[in-house]
Amino acid sequence: MTAPRRLRKELVDLQESSLKSFRDIKADDDNLLRWTGLIVPDNPPYNKGAFRIEINFPAEYPFKPPKISFKTKIYHPNIDEKGQVCLPIISTENWKPATRTDQVVQALIALINDPEPEHPLRAELAEEFLKDKKKFVKNAEDYTRKHSEKRPAD
Amino acid sequence: MSGGGEEHEQLKQKARPTSTSPLPGVSSASTSSAAAAAAGTVATSGGNGRATPEMKRSAVRSLIQRYFHQLQSGCGNVHCKNANCASSGKVPPMTPNEVAARALHLFSQDAQLCDSVPTVNSPQQDVDMLSPNDSSSSSSNSSTSTITSASTTTTTSTQSQSQSQSQSQSQSQSNTQPQSSMEQPERPPMILDFVKLSTLGSETATETETATTTTTTTAGDSGPCTPTLPSVEYVDAELLEGLYTQCQEAGNYERLCQIIDHVFSSVDRLSKSFVCRPGQERLHLESQSNSALNKEQLRQLEGEADKDEDSTQRSTTPTEPCAAASGDDAGHATATAAGADTDENDEDEPMTQQEQIDEFLRRGTKVDFRGLRHIKRMLFGAPCQSIAEQITSSVIKLADSIRNIRLSWLDLWEQVVHCLVICFDMATNTTANNSVTDMEYLDRVLPKLCHAAASMSVQAQARLAIIWSEYCADQLQTLLSSCQQQITLQVLLDEDSVRENEHIISVTKVLKIVFYANILASVLERPSCRLPLQEVVETESTASAVEDGEDLFVYNSLQHPHMPKFAEDPLEQCLQVSYIDCRSPLVPLEEFYNEALSEHIQMHQDYLSYKTLAMESHLGSRHTNYFCFMLYAFILTPATKVDALYYDCRMRMYSERYSSLYSILQNYGQDGQEGARPDLKLTVRRDQLINDALIGLELVAMSNPKDLKKQLVVEFVGEQGIDEGGVSKEFFQLIVEEIFNPAFGMFVQQEETNNMWFNPTPFENGAQFTLIGIIIGLAIYNNVILAVNFPMVVYRKLMGYRGTFYDLCDWSPTLYKSLKAMLDYQGHDMEEVFEQTFKISYSNVFGELVEHELVPHGSEVLVGQHNKRLFVNLYSDFLLNSNIEQQFKAFRKGFEMVTDESPLKLLFRPEEIEKLVCGSREFDFVELEHSTEYEGGYTEETQIVQDFWSIVHAMPHEAKRKLLEFTTGSARVPVGGLKCLRLLITRHGPDSDRLPSSHTCFNVLLLPEYSSKEKLEERLLKAINYSKGFGML
Repeated sequence: MTAPRRLRKELVDLQESSLKSFRDIKADDDNLLRWTGLIVPDNPPYNKGAFRIEINFPAEYPFKPPKISFKTKIYHPNIDEKGQVCLPIISTENWKPATRTDQVVQALIALINDPEPEHPLRAELAEEFLKDKKKFVKNAEDYTRKHSEKRPAD
Repeated sequence: MSGGGEEHEQLKQKARPTSTSPLPGVSSASTSSAAAAAAGTVATSGGNGRATPEMKRSAVRSLIQRYFHQLQSGCGNVHCKNANCASSGKVPPMTPNEVAARALHLFSQDAQLCDSVPTVNSPQQDVDMLSPNDSSSSSSNSSTSTITSASTTTTTSTQSQSQSQSQSQSQSQSNTQPQSSMEQPERPPMILDFVKLSTLGSETATETETATTTTTTTAGDSGPCTPTLPSVEYVDAELLEGLYTQCQEAGNYERLCQIIDHVFSSVDRLSKSFVCRPGQERLHLESQSNSALNKEQLRQLEGEADKDEDSTQRSTTPTEPCAAASGDDAGHATATAAGADTDENDEDEPMTQQEQIDEFLRRGTKVDFRGLRHIKRMLFGAPCQSIAEQITSSVIKLADSIRNIRLSWLDLWEQVVHCLVICFDMATNTTANNSVTDMEYLDRVLPKLCHAAASMSVQAQARLAIIWSEYCADQLQTLLSSCQQQITLQVLLDEDSVRENEHIISVTKVLKIVFYANILASVLERPSCRLPLQEVVETESTASAVEDGEDLFVYNSLQHPHMPKFAEDPLEQCLQVSYIDCRSPLVPLEEFYNEALSEHIQMHQDYLSYKTLAMESHLGSRHTNYFCFMLYAFILTPATKVDALYYDCRMRMYSERYSSLYSILQNYGQDGQEGARPDLKLTVRRDQLINDALIGLELVAMSNPKDLKKQLVVEFVGEQGIDEGGVSKEFFQLIVEEIFNPAFGMFVQQEETNNMWFNPTPFENGAQFTLIGIIIGLAIYNNVILAVNFPMVVYRKLMGYRGTFYDLCDWSPTLYKSLKAMLDYQGHDMEEVFEQTFKISYSNVFGELVEHELVPHGSEVLVGQHNKRLFVNLYSDFLLNSNIEQQFKAFRKGFEMVTDESPLKLLFRPEEIEKLVCGSREFDFVELEHSTEYEGGYTEETQIVQDFWSIVHAMPHEAKRKLLEFTTGSARVPVGGLKCLRLLITRHGPDSDRLPSSHTCFNVLLLPEYSSKEKLEERLLKAINYSKGFGML
């Protein structure tokens, strides 16, 4: 299976960089345009678990942006129930072909750690986040415990 | 500029004295003797050794002039034996034209020149020079005066006394006088200017004289010099301002008016006025703080650099006025001294005619816009109205005289262009609060100026367009709207004979110049989109040769979209530019439409002119008397152009119909052989629509492709309904729906834009694409709007242009932006950052990744700063052209089968074609209401009609679309908007349970007079939601 040269290089780079908060990065065996990886957030309420994401690259990459979706359910104002995430850096308006996947992942991790309730995908969570932070944190922790994957040992 | 070598040096030396001073000792103009004689004079004039080819040119010019004078006036020696001297009595009487030709001939033969030509300064000249009134430098050498006199006799009716005075001078002297005697060191810049001008003038001398039809007046009749009348040969901002202040102090503007009249009414004098001093031009350019330098401006900057060289040259040789000869004028005497050229060849090959024209076009202008505009505001803002009036009437005189010029010499046009640039700029450059005087000038002068400009040669018009685009881009909008006003006004005054109205015609011609200036002033795509055309055709023809065997549609000659030879725009050819290269024009091209004109033009008559011109060009005769607005399509609104197309279509349909009727008559009674039908009949089954259509059209295309130009008549098997347009409308709609269905596999829908694009890996053969091409062509031909969503590039490609990077913008905005970001990336680490090779990938209809190498071994070539542009171009070319080449070729072939020979390309830009095919995309139902008519007892006052509109206006967009489809058979808005639908609402009996119905072919809505608004709404919605098929109600 073939893939754009840059994509192959980015995959190797990411795997070798061994980030603490983004691990277990693999490309599908039969489709190098589909990657999976594990987000390991540092901030509460998400620091009790890990979240599997999928990155889909278009054939025209890097001239069209990748799409990211969560495979693990997450209680987060910026990620909807289907796992879709609204990340400005990969929106068609803002996308730059020079943007690398590690930058995208960094932006994603930052968003997970610090939700942006001003631009929510789930308005009810955003409202809870703003009005009753305590309740939000509790709900999110419960949700994380229940749904998220186990954090890697190291 | 300055070459080396001994020979060259000699030539320079030869050149200088002959142009600056008469050489009494020279008896022959042969190169060696002239050079030798020159050597002596050079020493006395203290030349500093810098000489230019221009000087050689002017030397040649003055020699030719001497021959001319000798032939015409003689040397004055009664015993003269020279057969080519009038004094010897051996010269036969000749017209000035013949004299000039003879002079050229003599020059080329190095014939004998009399040496006793009088050279003493005439007393008048001295008076002139010492005249205290003369604020300008009156130091006209006689060569200038000669031109002045010659050109004014041809061009102006008014001649001041000082004019005839200088004429007498030239007669008595018949020679050039030393210029050194005229230098006025106290105003060096002025002199430089002036000298530049005088040499500039002398160039044109021979040419002007060649054309002079009246012989120059005899020396005797010049009156004595009136001291109050200054012999001002030119004005500039400084001078006029000074004069104005003087007059203001004196409280009497008469003198100012006199000077204005003297200068502004003469091409010759005005052409020397408001000339930029060296260095000023640059300032002007820099003041045009245009952030995005387009190619034109860059080119201009380069040109400026050249001029700077000239100006430094001028300033280094202030004591050598003749060295200041305008560098830009070099080479033009080649036209005059063709064949007689002795010194040009040493340096470079003589310019070809094309090169001369190019050089002429690129010369820019020396008009000092800043000074001119300042003066314009000052004089027009003056409390004394008569100044502005004087300018107005003088400019009118000037314009009238320009109209009568019938010359092809570029150098005379040089002067005219200079004048027109000044006069037009004065017209458009108004003060902020459009004063009455400004408007007065504009109204009276503009029509005259347009006449003048329209009468110029194509090259001069092209030059004007370039100058406007480079120097007056900010004025184009004003100029355009002023011209539009003129046309509209004339149309309103003269509604019936719009097409013969001289004013309208000449303003339209000027608008064409403005049109091209506007394009030149915009950012242009380079290399031009029109250039690769040839290449496209070549590849197509070779490819089709291979492929013909399997192609069902036999149609060999796929050519360019039809563009008859006579309809090609000479101005476009001269400027080598096309609107097609201009993605975002400075002034939107829609502003060139003139509604009033388009409305009153009577397109059928214009179409007749078009056909007459076509016939003439076919027969090879030329009657350029016919003016045809179709050749000025930019001024016509799309709706009017649709009319023209309509007449063309009908004409062809009828001619096809007539010939088939004829063949029916001929074949009558011959063993039952079926003659050709007068129309294009297609019988289709609803469930086999594509196949039936395909087979039917295929048969026609194979047997007689011309039948495609007959009117289409469609019949659905088993359905009644006479096709007056409605049935074929539905046919088009259904077939388009089916063929564009992504499931059908011919086209893919683009995710981002919902546009349809050719499937690069289709399951169908080319014939299906040809069919859809025919369908699109037939739709245009039969005036049907289709619901197709192509990106604009499809229409550009249909018109014969290749898709380029810019076309990606509406093809895939994200891709376009990304590639743009790549182009804009300036870092030198591009290879590492992008890691992009010349291998690109895309996914096919099955979602599979397909890779493609843009260049051989592309996967090994990284994109970097040096080749990013190439990458982007190749990438775009691949996506838009080569990846779908076969499909598009088949598609375009079908389109051409129907539309070849039609003036489609002449009339419409790709954007307009798009509107023609799919209508505009917004519904203005208010407009529809205003244009709707009523029958059967309804009026716009009727309650139900009012209810109808209030329901309709409240409908959501989708319902409006359906209503439109229901009543007209198409969901698209026709070109020209909904008002062109001419919807008719007819009363269909009293209240009943019947649904509303329609005749789609006539856009008639049949509406029973329902008892309530609620019922109307219910019935109406039901009708529009369940409509499909014809005659089902």
